Amino acid sequence: MNFSEYVVSRWDTLSLAAGEHALVVGVAIGVSTAVGVGIGLLAHDLPKTRGISLAISAAILTVPSLALLTLLIPITGLGWGSTLVALTAYAFLPIIRNTVAGLRGVDASMVEAGRGMGMSRTRVLLKVRLPLAWPLILTGVRVATQMLIGIAAIAAYVDGPGLGTQIFEGLSRLGSVNALNATLAGTLGIVVIAVLFDLFFFAVRQLTIPRGLRVRS
Amino acid sequence: MFDRDTGGASIELRALTKHYPGQPAPAVDHVDLDIPAGELVVFVGPSGCGKTTTMKMINRLVEPTSGEIRIGGEDVLSLHPDELRRHIGYAIQQVGLFPHLTIGQNIGLVPNLLGWSAAKTADRVEELLSLVNLEASAFHDRYPRELSGGQQQRVGVARALAADPPVMLMDEPFGATDPITREHLQNEFVKLQKQLRKTIIFVTHDFEEAIKLGDRIAVLKERSHIAQYDTPANILANPADDYVAGFIGADATLKRLALLRVADVECGQQPGSANLPQIAADASLREALDVMLAHGTDRCGSPSGVLTYGALCEAVGTEPAPAPRLQSVGSGSTPVRTAPVPDAARGEAVGT
Repeated sequence: MNFSEYVVSRWDTLSLAAGEHALVVGVAIGVSTAVGVGIGLLAHDLPKTRGISLAISAAILTVPSLALLTLLIPITGLGWGSTLVALTAYAFLPIIRNTVAGLRGVDASMVEAGRGMGMSRTRVLLKVRLPLAWPLILTGVRVATQMLIGIAAIAAYVDGPGLGTQIFEGLSRLGSVNALNATLAGTLGIVVIAVLFDLFFFAVRQLTIPRGLRVRS
Repeated sequence: MFDRDTGGASIELRALTKHYPGQPAPAVDHVDLDIPAGELVVFVGPSGCGKTTTMKMINRLVEPTSGEIRIGGEDVLSLHPDELRRHIGYAIQQVGLFPHLTIGQNIGLVPNLLGWSAAKTADRVEELLSLVNLEASAFHDRYPRELSGGQQQRVGVARALAADPPVMLMDEPFGATDPITREHLQNEFVKLQKQLRKTIIFVTHDFEEAIKLGDRIAVLKERSHIAQYDTPANILANPADDYVAGFIGADATLKRLALLRVADVECGQQPGSANLPQIAADASLREALDVMLAHGTDRCGSPSGVLTYGALCEAVGTEPAPAPRLQSVGSGSTPVRTAPVPDAARGEAVGT
């Protein structure tokens, strides 16, 4: 059985796994974006909180994914739970870091002009800093997404959803008939998902970055 | 908010002090100042003298350590800072236009904060754009990054004027533009202020700019101590001390000439004025002197008669010098003045 015959014969399994892979990454990114941008908004101007949240999110990222998934089993069990928790936690660093950098990187004169016109601190944050930081925040989310698509493959180890199952199957039956096909299908599937997510973020970028920031000076 | 007699409201500063924690000396130390309604007062002084800090205490971007600020008789420190700032125009050197908003949205910001209706804001934005010589239809929907530096500065001034505030604070608003644009903006601004009569505090370290724009100038020393507070003409004629004189520079009398117009001086009718170099009535006396020097003569023709070197001396209050001796060079008929400019014409104002 060659590769295309393999894909056709296992289409149901493969498409379901791919869908779940995208879903688990999408949900994790959604949660970590909401929480991470929130933390960034609260912490960008508080040196202590900022330092702590960045340190924690960086520490999480240094834990090997296999280890983190294993450690989560007693708490969130096998499958979706542990996968979602781990993926969400891994996405925090790029998102929080870019949010903080974006908000703090806004030109001081903009903030002074806003405050000088009688905008409250919160209004300056939401109406000036956030829109100006948005391109950088979006980049952080995009980087996090690419990272999670790869890490999600490991989740198969704790019986998680996604294309990782194909890869692990191939690995465990190395030398048998469809071992290579399974691994290849899983890997290519992940590449396709990554490309689709990137296209999605390109569209989001075009739609949400204010026109005034895109015009040439 | 604020009582308004003219376009502006008076500002009083009483023992205004800012002492940053951990600093040995206050940044601004007991400043007392009265700014009459409708006048443009320039704070001029070297960098770090506390002029900007003093200005920022008036809209409370810097909270005073002690002292009082009254605008139109109202105690500024008892008001909510954000509410206060919506009634004080604010323009800064970096302009600080929001790049993600259109020009129209930038100018309409304060009216929106004040809860004006959309229609009223739109009318006001249009009015302001034409006030600062930008065509509303061409600029309303453009973004700040599409504008030149000078155009951005104009939008910055329009934005500061948006809610028709009685008081405006301007921190070197023309400082970042090239000299030609800068002069252009200054001239426009002088005209605009003649029309609006806002009470304006204008901070600069450029004494020329201070003379050009100010109804009064406050020359500030370190810790915002006021070395002299007077009209440009009086400061140039009678600097309070060496510090002020040093700030004016060595050409105080020329600067005074620059403040006066040809039309302000009595010009005698004399025969033969048609052959003299001509100067326009709205030119400054400094320009008239330039014309005289350039043509090697001590008189030039103006629309109302003949302007003499003696008249320039009188205009700056120095003794009219003995008529400069003129002698012919060779057989040529062009008169050349050989007498040096009398010391008196350079004036004691230099303080040396």
